[in-house]
Amino acid sequence: MNRRKFLTILGSAGVASALSTARVANASGGTTTWPYYENSYGVLHDTTRCIGCRRCEEGCNKVNGLPKPKKPFSDLSVTETRRRTSAYEWTVVNKYEVNGKPVFRKQQCFHCNDPACASACFAKCFQKQPDGSVTYDGSQCVGCRYCMIACPFYAPGFEYDKAWDPLVQKCTFCEPRMKEGKLPGCIEACPIDALTFGRRSDLIKIARARMHENPGKYADYIYGEWDAGGTAWMVLAPSPEAAAASGHEFADLGLDTHLGNRPIGELTYGALSAVPMIVAFWPVLFGGAYAMTKRREAMHKAEQEAVAREAGEDVAAAVAAAVRKIEETQGRSAADTARAAMADALKAREAACAHAGEDK
Amino acid sequence: MQKDKHMRNGTPLLLLAATALACVACLTNWGAGTAPAASLEATDSGAPSAMVIFPVGAKPNTEGAAMKPVLFNHLVHEKKIENCESCHHTGEPVACTSCHTVEGTPDGKFVTLERAMHADRPAKRENGNTPQSCVSCHTEQLARRECAGCHALVKPARNEEWCKACHNVTSNITKDDVHQGAAGKLVSERNEALAAETLIGRRDVSYLTPTDGPYKVKIDAVAEKYEPSLFTHRRHVNSLMERIKDDKLAKAFHTSPETLCSVCHHKSPLSSTPPKCASCHSPRIDPGHPERPHLKAAYHLQCMGCHTGMKVGRPLNTSCTTCHKERAPQSADQPGGAK
Amino acid sequence: MAHHNIVIPTKDRLFNLGEFSLRTTGNKITAVILAVGLILTIIRFTQGIGSVSNLSDTQPWGMWIGFDLLCGVCLAAGGYFTTVACYVMGMKHFHSAVRPAVTTAFLGYGFVVVALLYDLGHPLRLPYMFFFPGTTSVLFEVGLCVATYVTVLFMEFSVAPCEWLAAKFPFLLKWRKLVNATNILLTIFGVTLSTLHQSSLGALYLIAPAKLHPLWYSPFIPMFFFVSSMIAGGSMVIFEGMFAHKGVHHYMDATHMKEADEIVFSFAKAESFIMFAYFMIKLIDMLVQANLPYLFSGYGFWWLVEMFGFVLFPALVYAKGARTRDISKCRFAAVVAVAGIVLNRFNVSMIAFNYALPSSERYVPSIWEICISMFVVTMIVTAYRFIVYHMPVLYEHPDFKGAH
Repeated sequence: MNRRKFLTILGSAGVASALSTARVANASGGTTTWPYYENSYGVLHDTTRCIGCRRCEEGCNKVNGLPKPKKPFSDLSVTETRRRTSAYEWTVVNKYEVNGKPVFRKQQCFHCNDPACASACFAKCFQKQPDGSVTYDGSQCVGCRYCMIACPFYAPGFEYDKAWDPLVQKCTFCEPRMKEGKLPGCIEACPIDALTFGRRSDLIKIARARMHENPGKYADYIYGEWDAGGTAWMVLAPSPEAAAASGHEFADLGLDTHLGNRPIGELTYGALSAVPMIVAFWPVLFGGAYAMTKRREAMHKAEQEAVAREAGEDVAAAVAAAVRKIEETQGRSAADTARAAMADALKAREAACAHAGEDK
Repeated sequence: MQKDKHMRNGTPLLLLAATALACVACLTNWGAGTAPAASLEATDSGAPSAMVIFPVGAKPNTEGAAMKPVLFNHLVHEKKIENCESCHHTGEPVACTSCHTVEGTPDGKFVTLERAMHADRPAKRENGNTPQSCVSCHTEQLARRECAGCHALVKPARNEEWCKACHNVTSNITKDDVHQGAAGKLVSERNEALAAETLIGRRDVSYLTPTDGPYKVKIDAVAEKYEPSLFTHRRHVNSLMERIKDDKLAKAFHTSPETLCSVCHHKSPLSSTPPKCASCHSPRIDPGHPERPHLKAAYHLQCMGCHTGMKVGRPLNTSCTTCHKERAPQSADQPGGAK
Repeated sequence: MAHHNIVIPTKDRLFNLGEFSLRTTGNKITAVILAVGLILTIIRFTQGIGSVSNLSDTQPWGMWIGFDLLCGVCLAAGGYFTTVACYVMGMKHFHSAVRPAVTTAFLGYGFVVVALLYDLGHPLRLPYMFFFPGTTSVLFEVGLCVATYVTVLFMEFSVAPCEWLAAKFPFLLKWRKLVNATNILLTIFGVTLSTLHQSSLGALYLIAPAKLHPLWYSPFIPMFFFVSSMIAGGSMVIFEGMFAHKGVHHYMDATHMKEADEIVFSFAKAESFIMFAYFMIKLIDMLVQANLPYLFSGYGFWWLVEMFGFVLFPALVYAKGARTRDISKCRFAAVVAVAGIVLNRFNVSMIAFNYALPSSERYVPSIWEICISMFVVTMIVTAYRFIVYHMPVLYEHPDFKGAH
């Protein structure tokens, strides 16, 4: 009992220490412990410029050959409803209210520097490309949709209506077009440069320059510079007008500002790095427990045998003494009968004892 | 020898000048006033109508080198602002430089003269009056509808031209005046005389007129899906000028004939014949210059930026066909359009 | 001993399917559920996932993962729990509980894989994870461990069908001998794999910090899942035993029945300890993560219901039941504990997931999803009955008496 308790404590301590040491090891990295492509491209989405014309949606639909939507792209009233990206709409523009004024924000895959979807995929369908895009290869997709659980931006959609080849779909950053030297469809369609395309490092400088040149216009934060380990697509929000409203500029735009500045996938690496420890430690632990149990059983058995032997010897000596006395007083034949009867009785008792021991 | 002779000649001259100055001072003290000062309208408060604000500092300024002083027209400000405490935030009608000097003083809580005049967002005072600086108050003025359109696009340029709008006094100011002013020792009569002279010497700028520009401009460089836009250049310039024609603030700060033009025709030297937009803004997106909007975006940013700033209700930003008519569908299919 | 009333298949009469053709209510319900499930299966695989489920882009994992996978794997934890207790810890009096527990564990895991096929977009590509191993994914670890553990469980379980068929196919005896020889290795391998994937099922949700409510999200969620799987393991042995005593009582031999009550009390005692520990670590985690303010909200109330109503309460009933040797109390506690585990898995996967989204975007499983989950459970029960009717699970085979 005591030993078991000890082992239980030891076991849970093993899990805990594995988790915590792994986390510390991960947290002590530099600024970019994950693969980071210096010259990758990105997009700066300036929501103070966006007019909500849905041209980007139309451009995306056109260059990617997506199905025609029920309502035409010229119908701007759809921006009023809260829409999200899906397998057939890789980007959507929604209207939000900031300081009582309408602000539009385009939603699409953020193309993280170290994407959660790629970390979550167990068939390696997602890949961060050197050009900045996060691409998806559906040919090896199992359709488990863990990527959709993992994505903090709710970007990927799944073709639930397809029976034969349902795939996860999301904005590709028009990677096939970029390979041909063309720009993404939405960027080309934007009439007002609310989507600025360029190298990610340049875009951060541009964003800061815009804030500097337009005091009071922007919230002092580039969404995506560090969020979730940094994203290729970044968002600028209008500044809060009154001091009371400050701090919610991005939440007002439906953006989560509590994602932290480490890649989301890293949250699981602590648990994953405990795997080798458990694989190495558990067999030893339980093997040890088994060995102890075996040894305990063997010792118990030996003890019992010793006791039985001693008892047997005592009984044998007593029987011999009794028989000798019978022989002396009543003759040989009586002694033989008595010896046989006693031997039978002992045998029967032994058998009964053995049975009881077995049952115990 | 030569030196002595010179000295002998110079000393009476200096004495003469000093007497003359003393006389002037005495005369003004009696309330007679000098000729130029008298020509300015008097203020209700009794404060001087205009004064020169010198960069007053405690440190000995032997060289006389200093930031250019500023002319402050107390009269027009007093007329516009009802509450004197907006600027005289302590409640005492004293000169700014009595507390705020170049280096700062304990009385002014070490807020330097530069900050007192230029702070764009003075920290809110927990108890008492939150003071305004020149810049903070003037920035507030830019929110006015007639200003907001252009000034949503125009950014402060930290160059001589920009500073000159305020740091500009009469060229008759002497080195000695500056020296004494910076030491806080210039007599107020001389100060007011200089201010009046500066103010009177200012001439109205003759702005370029709407007719100096084209009547209409056909913007067709990026026409693709839509017909080219016909921009009513003259109507727009006319409308802008009409709104601010009696605005003294605008007049004071729009210091060149081309000031108004330079809002749209930005980033090039002031000229009545500015370069084409396409000189800088390429019709195609250039990932090499992500900071520079492509031509179509540049137009839209300028037009919509100004319209939004001036709260021009129409056209809606998304109402494309108000400015450029839709092209027939077959021609829209042709790639390239009218490039 | 008293084997005369148990139907033991012989060499000439291998099958004993008479039980299925009896016109009992249970059989009728089973037939209806299986028929509906079959139709739904056809619809699911010809019309797509969207045709039978309410799954959406915001809620890609619903009933099938939340119940069939998370609960299925967790409730099948009885396998490792009992084998470790019996073989590693040397509690030989649990011996008659090992086979039923291994059988249900094997069926549980087997049908988890079956249920997974409904949920996967490309079920046939399931082995792709071995060809394109995404080693950074928790799901890869889960998949690898479950695949290996199903194999281990199959080997552990295979002794029963071997004994059933040995009379007809004597070569199976060799396999049986091999399995018996490696029993302890399999057990230790099994508990290692179980520790890994039971905790990893929780670790799956580590990647969604913004989506899972803070009261349920914790960096220690893998540990919570592992500890609660022990609760589920022990409770399920009691829970299943309860039903087995009702339904297949006549397939139990004297040893099994004699040991059954003692097993319940031992497990009840162990469970009450584990559940107290679980309650404490959850409570401490909640305090350490500074989640106290969340308690004063709807979700906070729900969390308290889970923790007090479905963890602390059954722990107390278990303790009381084990102390007073009250079998019905222990069974009641087992039912509540199992319900609590299901509730916890539902909370993590569905109820507290996407908590920040407006109610219009929240997920409620469709009736057909629930039907398919019921279909899977019914298949498990049916398979269990088939095994019990044919194989020496609840009794010792007379040919192999005392051999295991």
